[in-house]
This record gives sequence, structure tokens and C-alpha cells, in this order.
Amino acid sequence: MGLTEGGGTDVLDYGGAETGVRQDLIDAQRALLDHIGSPGTWWTGEERVAIASESRQAARCALCRERKGSLSPGAVAGRHDGPHTLPENVVDTVHRIRTDPARLSKTWFDGVIAGGVDVARYVELVGVSTLTAGLDYFARAFGIAPFPLPAPRPGAPSRHRPAGAKPEGAWVPMIAPEHAVGPEADVYNGGFVPNIMRALSLVPDEVRALRQTSGAHYVPVEQIPDPTVHRALTRPQMELVAARVSAINECFY
Amino acid sequence: MSGEAVDLRAVMGEAGDDAGVEHGGRLIAFTDAVMGSDDERLARERRTLRAVVSAEAFVDTCALIAAFNVVDRVADATGIPLDPMLYAGSGDVREELGLARFRSSANTPAPN
Repeated sequence: MGLTEGGGTDVLDYGGAETGVRQDLIDAQRALLDHIGSPGTWWTGEERVAIASESRQAARCALCRERKGSLSPGAVAGRHDGPHTLPENVVDTVHRIRTDPARLSKTWFDGVIAGGVDVARYVELVGVSTLTAGLDYFARAFGIAPFPLPAPRPGAPSRHRPAGAKPEGAWVPMIAPEHAVGPEADVYNGGFVPNIMRALSLVPDEVRALRQTSGAHYVPVEQIPDPTVHRALTRPQMELVAARVSAINECFY
Repeated sequence: MSGEAVDLRAVMGEAGDDAGVEHGGRLIAFTDAVMGSDDERLARERRTLRAVVSAEAFVDTCALIAAFNVVDRVADATGIPLDPMLYAGSGDVREELGLARFRSSANTPAPN
């Protein structure tokens, strides 16, 4: 993958196997890498790339592997692999989300927040670390090396906290569709708004990134309820793969 | 969904065949290999899948695996409940698959 000065991504390397890779998928993956390297709402570009790097590193982390195999992740102490530029509590949060999502709990989340991670910074961290996981799983499935992470772009976080974000039954505040107004008027794009799209709405730019990437990798959100919408795979084939992934991840949602 | 009969045991890795979906067995085997850690098995399953589906369908499979690894982590890390509409329409499926045993089911309280 080529990087332009400032972290923009020009060309993604699909290992010479581009046949079949849709242009909208290439565009979405390129945009996602740009998004990761850009200054965010609460984290700088440098911090966001560090979060993405930790997410990637977690997949090979010995401590995470040991915890994953233990009866309780809290029973295994130690230090996560690698040199870290982020605080240890942030590193641990990213690693847990990446490698053991099925055992995250409200108690665990409350501990993360009590440990000093502001909830809006947490939500943005979730966005960056999970979207990185998606890119990495695509590369692994496709049989290519993970896309190089972008160079961080300079600039300060916007620190925009949407007024419409409120407790809505999740661990984190979310924007209800009827409260998506003003700067957030575009965040849901109307129509069907599943909770998965609301989950990151305390940081609207992460919703926009998730919506774009979901639309290219699955189907556009507003088309999810339509059973006739499919891609080269039939819809039953698509749902079988999706459900199998979620079963392995032990995800109820 | 399309109304086709899908053997839900395939979702839990228990069907052992195509589960009523064209190339369902190969899709499941490939997905399992991607989610696992055996690179040789993954290479084998990738070759097998690519031999039976189009290049575009193979890309779609990779993209879906990526998408739902994002979705699952976002859902589990934010504690969102299952949408009421989806909850209402999925009781039989949830029961058949035994999804209540997943820890994240606690994020979706049963309606009163």
C-alpha cells in the first residue's frame, strides 16, 4: 500500500489478486485507513494509529492467548506483548476488545471507566480497535498481509460531544434517531437504525466510518431488512457466514 | 432471510453438510479456518472455496467475515441490547441455537 505524505492511502495491495475486489470495497478500506490515521474526536491521529497498532498486536499477544484459555480473564496477570506508547489501562482495554469480546461485561466496562478512561474516549477507542480488526480479518481471509497502518495526520481532536447522546439502555450513551439533529443530522441517514449503528454515536464520526465500512463489506444499513438484497453470494449464504462468525465470537447481538 | 430452509445447526458447527445453502459446508469450513489459528488449514480451505465459488463471491465471503468481526466487537464492547424488532422475530432461532448461554445475552433483558 502506498502512503501519501500526511498519511493518505493511495493504493491498497491485494497481492495481485484484485480480481473480484469491488471498487466500493477498495474505496471503503482506503477511507477506513485514512479515518484511522486522522485526528479524531478525543484522540489524536498518533494515538488512533497507536490504538490500531495495539489492536493488531493483540491478535499475537501471549498474555491475551493465555487469558483467552483461562476460566476467567481476570485470573491471569501479566503485561501485554510489545512496546507500548499508550497507557497500560488503554492497552489492556484494546487487547480485551480485540481478543476476548465474548467475556466483556458491564462490570468490566465500569472498571475501565473508573480507571480513568472517559466514556467518549472509550467509544472512539472501540471504533478504532474494532474497525482495525475488520481490516485484519479481511486480509487474513483473502490471503494477503495486513494493510500497513497509515502515518498519523497532525491536528487536534475536535472534542465534539453530541448534545443528543443520552442513556438508551446500552453501557454507553447513544443518540436516538429522533435526536440526530444539527451536526448529527446525517449520522444515521434515515430509515432503519439498528442499535449497532447507534452504539458508537457518542462519537458520530465513528458511526459514519462504521456505516461506510458495513455498507461495503455487508450491505448498506438501510437495506439490511430487505431479504432480497444480496451480493455475489446469495442472502442465505451471506447470513450463514455472518451467523457463523457471530457464533464463534459468542455474540448474542 | 429468503425463506429457504437453512439448517441452523450449521451456525453452531453441527450440521456437517451444506445446511440447505449452496456451498454452505465450504463456506462454514472457510469461516472456521479464518477464525482459527491454523494457517495451513486456512490456505487449504481458501483453495477449496475458491474452486467452487466465483472470485466475487469469495471476496464477499472475506468481506462478511471482516464486517461481522467488527459488528460483534462493537456490540459486545458497548453493551447494546438486541433491537426490539429483531428480538421479537428471533425467539425460535435464539432458543434453537441456545444463544442465551452467551454472556452478552445479559445486555438484552427479556421484555416484561
